[in-house]
Amino acid sequence: MDQQEERISRMSSRLLKSIFAAAALAAMLSAQPPAPPAGGAANGGVPAIFGGTGPHVAGGPVQHLSDGHPDMQGFWAAGNNGGAVFELQNHPKPRSGVPPGKGAIVDPADGFIPYQPWAAAKATDTFEHNLAEEPELHCYESGVPKQIYVQFGFQIFQPANYVVVTWEFMHAYRIIPTDGRAHIPTDIKLFEGDSVGHWEGDTLVVDTTNLNDRTWYDTVGNFHSDSEHVVERFTEVDTNTIKYEATVEDSKVLTAPFKIAFELYKSSDTKYEQMEFACIEGNQDVTHYTKDKGGNADVKVK
Amino acid sequence: MRFGWMRHSTITAATALALVCVAPGVIEVPVSAQSAYKAPRTADGTPDLQGIWQVRNTSAAFDLEDHAGALGIPPGRSVIVDPPDGKIPYKPEALAKRQANFKNRDAADTLNKCYMPGVPRITYLDFPFQIFQTPKYTLITYEYIHIYRTIFTDGSKHIDGLDFWLGDPRGHWDGDTLVVDVTDFNDQTWFDASGDYHSDKLHVVERYTRTGPDTLRYEATIEDPDVFTRAWKISLPLYRHAEPNFRILEYECQAYADEAAKGGR
Repeated sequence: MDQQEERISRMSSRLLKSIFAAAALAAMLSAQPPAPPAGGAANGGVPAIFGGTGPHVAGGPVQHLSDGHPDMQGFWAAGNNGGAVFELQNHPKPRSGVPPGKGAIVDPADGFIPYQPWAAAKATDTFEHNLAEEPELHCYESGVPKQIYVQFGFQIFQPANYVVVTWEFMHAYRIIPTDGRAHIPTDIKLFEGDSVGHWEGDTLVVDTTNLNDRTWYDTVGNFHSDSEHVVERFTEVDTNTIKYEATVEDSKVLTAPFKIAFELYKSSDTKYEQMEFACIEGNQDVTHYTKDKGGNADVKVK
Repeated sequence: MRFGWMRHSTITAATALALVCVAPGVIEVPVSAQSAYKAPRTADGTPDLQGIWQVRNTSAAFDLEDHAGALGIPPGRSVIVDPPDGKIPYKPEALAKRQANFKNRDAADTLNKCYMPGVPRITYLDFPFQIFQTPKYTLITYEYIHIYRTIFTDGSKHIDGLDFWLGDPRGHWDGDTLVVDVTDFNDQTWFDASGDYHSDKLHVVERYTRTGPDTLRYEATIEDPDVFTRAWKISLPLYRHAEPNFRILEYECQAYADEAAKGGR
């Protein structure tokens, strides 16, 4: 294969994945380990999600734009986060095909979401009876912070007075103004919330409110209310690595805030481009879920 | 303010015309008086198209041609500036298909299934969009079903062998105009809600030109040898949202349809 063919092959494969995205998620629930966490030494530090192999490679010193802020522009993907895309919290035992993993929660130290009792019961009930309600199966945007650890990575842009992030997955985007403006009124609830950002030295701090209650933290029913409030911190450690942290508050669902942390890895493939992600346009996924999980399929899939 | 720049443009055009009369062939006449507006520049020196924009012509999304009202379709004038009759130059057999599409529009328009609307239709849906610029990219984020388009302005080439709902956009600057060449379309989208359609050979060239502090001219030249006898062109003004609290929010078509199906809002 020449380079162009290889690119098309890679892209076609991702396009297919995107057409059957949630079906792929369903398939992964029964089989595979989390989406590739590591980067690739052989390809100069291209994370596996961008086609590289091998461990993540640190980059050079952080570069700054003419506005003095770190230049985080490029393609990034979540590094090793303990399979957070499948289950955000600690999941030491496999269940329903989700492989065991530590999740991404660093506080509380046990790695579990500090649910109020009713909320823990609801999450369990959803897992047992309503997995077909998983928002991404219906082609909804992923919400915050999940958007950061979905498959296929994202692109950061830094036009004047903004940080804008676009995702291949669900063709989602987040517009983060950094001009000091206030949040919109609480009456307006959004899948991706309302984000405002500011810089603390080389750290981008993003405060997100106005989130609706229609997204999950993962694929197994861990959820939040429309009182969710997320503060994310993006700190570029080197040109290939961002330290990512998010503190999540939700007074209706949690007994205390929790915090997640992992690294983001940059693609050094200068030819990389995000492809169009058509989900609604080809979605067959809900029909793949059995009736006992809230779906339409008569046959129970083993 | 607006009167100010209009008068200025008029004077500039008149002056240019006068100069042409004196020395024909020496001075280039602006295509229109509005071209005389000089767009502000971004930090890297390119014309600044950034801001939140929207059409005011809300009938174009229903029918690009001159049309009377019909069920679900508000009346409106043609936005087609070429050919001069304002009509889409269909091949005879393609026109028949367009008329069949019109009759079957509720079922056949993929927009009604919350699918991506294609290009240029996304531009004149009655939803705002925001333009961002960096040296390598012009990024457009649309409120409608959280679509974004990443327009490469780095000299990169089209992808071969794939097709997309929104095509593959590659841009370059022609003076103060951002020219976007869009290929690699599928044949699943329409130009409007009246059945005006294309094949997967569609080729669109968009032109974005600032015409004033709060206005931008959007033009799209459309070619498709399987459907049209010749290229044709639409032109629509876009207007800046100047409301200080204005933001791009979300219009989540599929989520709302699901909600309605469950008896919700």
